[in-house]
Amino acid sequence: MSLGELILSLADNKQLLGLRYAEWATRAPSLEADIAAAGMGLDDLGHCRVLYGCLEPLGDDPRGGLARDQDPAGYLSLPYFDQPFPSWSHFVAANAVLDTAFSALIQACVEGNVEVLQTRLRKMLMEERYHFLHGRSWLRSGVEQEPLDEAWRQALAWFGPPDGEVAALHRDGALSMGPADLFKRLEERLEVQPPRVAIDWQGWDPRRRREGKGGGIDERTFNMLRGLEEKRFMPASPSAGAGRTDA
Amino acid sequence: MKTHQYNRVQGQAQEYEVFARKVRLEPLRQIGSVVAPDADLAAAYARATYDEERWVEMAIVRRDQLLQLWAPGEEPTE
Repeated sequence: MSLGELILSLADNKQLLGLRYAEWATRAPSLEADIAAAGMGLDDLGHCRVLYGCLEPLGDDPRGGLARDQDPAGYLSLPYFDQPFPSWSHFVAANAVLDTAFSALIQACVEGNVEVLQTRLRKMLMEERYHFLHGRSWLRSGVEQEPLDEAWRQALAWFGPPDGEVAALHRDGALSMGPADLFKRLEERLEVQPPRVAIDWQGWDPRRRREGKGGGIDERTFNMLRGLEEKRFMPASPSAGAGRTDA
Repeated sequence: MKTHQYNRVQGQAQEYEVFARKVRLEPLRQIGSVVAPDADLAAAYARATYDEERWVEMAIVRRDQLLQLWAPGEEPTE
């Protein structure tokens, strides 16, 4: 995996996280939490656009080799985002653990030696501070254990094996932290003891940075990413609205 | 000073007043309020709710930490 593919994984995960946040913009426990969900969703969708814009300066755009229009597995996102969050606990676990894990990698990029990432990603960390405060506060109020454990597990899987590409990028100086440092950073930020997690790296998908080879984002979300959901609301043909008369 | 107690989210949520200014020469002014159970969440809510404009500074303070000298209808000397 190249640095470009790692940034694409970060971008795809941020895009899916942004969409999943937005799905809770009218379902969160309070009006303030609704607004925060919408705001964080917008932030992450904005971040993914910046990250996609970094791919070309980093070299060949890795999206070229992926059938992203035909196959949901062409998106390099984590299983946690394959389906809409089924509960507020899932939202909070993603907000606290996974969003903070992505921020840890962004920080490693900003502190690394790749200029385009140093300059373009810095502002994200300022915005992410508020995602972190939101996630940590809700985490402290107590959430269900199952989504929390799953988020920790997927964060560890996403950072990758101890001797993988992230470790190599750290040795080269592109990232200021390797996988173990990133996980430690996550643990320190959240000030909680993570569950004991053992990843079977033999069955790990190095492209999508997730355990197992199967799975992918749900059909409705996949259609939305391709613009097909929006097309349902468009006139069937250019003349479809021609007979309409407005008073 | 009357402080509303909110119990709808996490235990005893508090009201926080939000202050901001657009340029350094302006004084901070109150732009609204948020309700949250702690300062971290209040900061996140304030930023999400009021960041539509380009503020150079934003601050929050718990409403029950404001020291009121007098209220509408009261005399300053009372």
